[in-house]
This record gives sequence, C-alpha cells and structure tokens, in this order.
Amino acid sequence: MDVSVTSRVVGDRTVVDVTGEIDVYTAPALREELASLIDREHTDLVVDLTAVKFMDSTGLGVLVGALKKVRTIGGDLRLVIDQEKILKVFRITALTQVFTIHASIDEALAEQG
Amino acid sequence: MPYNELNQRPARVLLVEDDDGDALLVSELLADSGIQVDLQRARSVEEAARRLDVECVLLDLGLPDAAGFSALDRVLAAPRPPAVVVLTGLAETGQGLQAVARGAQDYLVKGEVSPELLARAVRYAIQRRRAETQERDLYRAQLRASETSRLERALLPTPLVGDGELEVLVGYRAGRDGLLGGDFYDVVERADGSVAAVVGDVAGHGPDEAALGATLRTAWRTSVLAGLPAAQVLDVVEQILSAERGRPEIFATLVMVVVDPERSSMELFLCGHPTPFLLDDPTTSLPSAHRGRALGIPVLGGWTSVRVELGDRWRIILFTDGVLETTIDGGSARLGEEGLQEIMAEQVRGGRGRHADASRLSLVDRILEAVRARHGGDLVDDTALVVLGWGQDA
Repeated sequence: MDVSVTSRVVGDRTVVDVTGEIDVYTAPALREELASLIDREHTDLVVDLTAVKFMDSTGLGVLVGALKKVRTIGGDLRLVIDQEKILKVFRITALTQVFTIHASIDEALAEQG
Repeated sequence: MPYNELNQRPARVLLVEDDDGDALLVSELLADSGIQVDLQRARSVEEAARRLDVECVLLDLGLPDAAGFSALDRVLAAPRPPAVVVLTGLAETGQGLQAVARGAQDYLVKGEVSPELLARAVRYAIQRRRAETQERDLYRAQLRASETSRLERALLPTPLVGDGELEVLVGYRAGRDGLLGGDFYDVVERADGSVAAVVGDVAGHGPDEAALGATLRTAWRTSVLAGLPAAQVLDVVEQILSAERGRPEIFATLVMVVVDPERSSMELFLCGHPTPFLLDDPTTSLPSAHRGRALGIPVLGGWTSVRVELGDRWRIILFTDGVLETTIDGGSARLGEEGLQEIMAEQVRGGRGRHADASRLSLVDRILEAVRARHGGDLVDDTALVVLGWGQDA
C-alpha cells in the first residue's frame, strides 16, 4: 500500500502520474511532489489518477490545496479519472464542481488551457 | 557547608557590576567564603544578556545602562532565567525588597556583606531557583496532560439529551498509534423537543485537525442550542471552519439529522459526507438524493435536507469514513458500504433478546469491535459513530 508520484512535461503542461493508494500515510508524498513542481513554476498541471486504487479525504485535501495554489498564480490543475470509485470520492464532497475532470489523459491534453 | 556538597562542580556565577572596585570586593568575598564558584564578570546589562547561561547572577542595581529594575526584568525574561541576587547600595534597601518582589531570589546590601552571608545567599538562591524550575516543569507537564484530555473531552462530548426514551449511543476511536484525526460527533436535544445529531470529519489527520474538529463541534452545539434553523447551523459551522482553519485547503464533511419531537420522522442533511444507514437486519442506506457539498470548498450554494419518515420503531447510525474505507483481512480490499452494512446487520441480530442496559458492550462498541476484527487490527483512520434509536427493546 504505497504511492508513486512521477511527473513529465508534455508541451506547455506537466503531467503528474500517480500510482497506488493515497491515504493519510501516503498523501504527504503527493503533496511534496506537487509543491515542488509549483515551486519550479510548473503551474499548468494534469494529475493522472487512472492508476490510483484508493483515495481518502487527506488526498482530496492535497489536491484542493494544489489547485488553490496554482489558480492564485494563473495556472490550472486538471484531473484524469476513469474509475467510478475514485470519481465517487469527488462527487460525494461536490469537488467535481471545483476540478476539471477528464476521462482520459488524451482528452485532458487536447483541451485548450 | 561548601557549595559542592550539593553539586559536584563549582557554581557558575555571573557578576554584573560596572564598578571595578565593587567587582573586586565581591570576588574576594567569594574567595574568602570557601564556596566553589566559576565567577564571570559583565560590565553592563547588554553584555550580561548574552551570558545568562549561569546558575546565579549577582546584579548591581545601579548599572549605567539600566534604569530602575530594567536590568532585573531583562535577566528574568530569559527563557530559563538563572537565580538572581541583587546588590544594592546602603541607601537603597527598599529597592532590594522590591527586586525580590519582582522575582529576584535575594538581595544584599553592599558594604554589609560578609563572605558567609554572600556564599549563603548564592547557594540558597540557586536552590530556590532550581525548585521553582522543577515546579514549573511539573506544572507544564500537567498542563500538557490536561490539554490532551481537554481536547479529547472537546471531541467526545456527553450527549445533551433529556429524553430517556430515545436511545443515544456514541463512539469514537483514535486511529492506529493513537492518531488523532478531525472526526467529531455530538447529539443535542432542542427546546422544542427535537433532537439534532452530527458526525463530521475534518480532512487530514493530526492535532491541528483534531483541534479544528473540536472547534466545529462546539460551534455546531452552540448554534443548535441557540435555536438556529438547521440550514443556518451549517452556515455558521462553515464560517467558523473558514475562519479557524490553518490552511485554506482544509475542508470538512458532515452529516446532520434533526429528529422531530414525535420521533417519527427526521430531516437529513448530507454535506459531502457518506450516507448514514437505517440500522436494522438487514441494514440499508438512508436516501442520499439531496446530497450537498462539503464545508469549506469553493463551491457556491447552501444545503437542503431530505425528510425521512421513520415510523414508530427505528434505529439510525451516522459514521465517518474511517469505518467505511478500512481495508479488510490485512489486504488492500476495502470494506465499503455493503461490507459495513453486513457487519452492522450481524451486530443487530446478535444484540436481539438482550437488554440494552446489560453490562456487555453497547451496540456501537460491538460494531467498532467487529469492524476492527474484519480489518485485522486497529483502524488506520479515526472514527466517530452515533446511533439514535426509538421504540427499541421497549
């Protein structure tokens, strides 16, 4: 039960690939990676959650925090989610209205920022 | 009695004295007294302030760079201040007494000091300061312990319900390793006889979230007792959350119910929170049609409730996601709604035929134990549960 977070630059955007489970113990790794990217002025982020098996409210908090941070400096943070169980976590809290959520990474990257 | 009978090494003493003659006098008095001291000298408060890592300060009150008691106040303001013995002139004994009242351990009048008197003053001052420090450390330890228990009390209140007919059961478990989270609960009966209950969860885990959970719980109870309509209670709780949270990304989810005075129906508010269950055999989900957003997220709009008809014999359970999202049998599969409902139905079956007041575990404790057993150990997340029941075991 661990999480791996890697990032790659695609055009103007930075794709963050997250694999594993995001909970109270693993969320700090995601928070640090996102904070470090934003510090290095990667502010147009696409966070790919298609390989995430589980996410709790701590993970949501991390994503909300990163979203607020990039928006204040003119950036954006989009999510890629293709599993109902992950989408449900966002729907329950109404965070679906806060994030732009795409069903695939291609769709997210095709979207004009 | 030489000082090092009490302490194996010489006492470190800092003499703060601008007058070289007076300084020499003091050092000779100390030498004559036989007390083992490592004597240092500072000529001003400025200089002394950088060298307060000593056991005792002999402080001349007539320093040129410190009017009145400012030198004394400065020494005593150090994080761990040394003992202070004030030296005054013959005409200033009143100042010596005032200095003691301000926190110095003792005072000596220049010109009236014998070696024995000086040695005794230094020794006693150090002893008194040490006792004070120990007392303060003890007090701080007690304060920390009482803060922890105060936080627990604030998170885990006693339900405020006068209606003895209504079954009210509450439960809270800290996460693994005593991990405090921001889960909270409360149950309050209002003046009109209706009973409001809440279970909430501040996103994240740790003492800050726990303290915020306690704050939100208090805000909720206050608003309910003040007679605010349920939807406004949520507005107040959200305002408090926005004002008190440490980081802007912190949000909270909660579920609130208001059971009518007749105990036959209730209003259900879902704020980004898992849907509560009708606790029975089988256990089923309550309606989640009017699901609203979590508190403290940047989405506009308030909350609307759904009215649930309960009948004359019912039991509901509100919970946080700690029980819902726990892994099972040490693997990576999660319990989920259906798994949790099965466990709860089992516990309802197991409890039939027993009197509710029997000394065995309450239904809430049995559910928590059963979830813990299914998980295979203490749950990772903290968990809060509230059960309300009517017409049970009558």
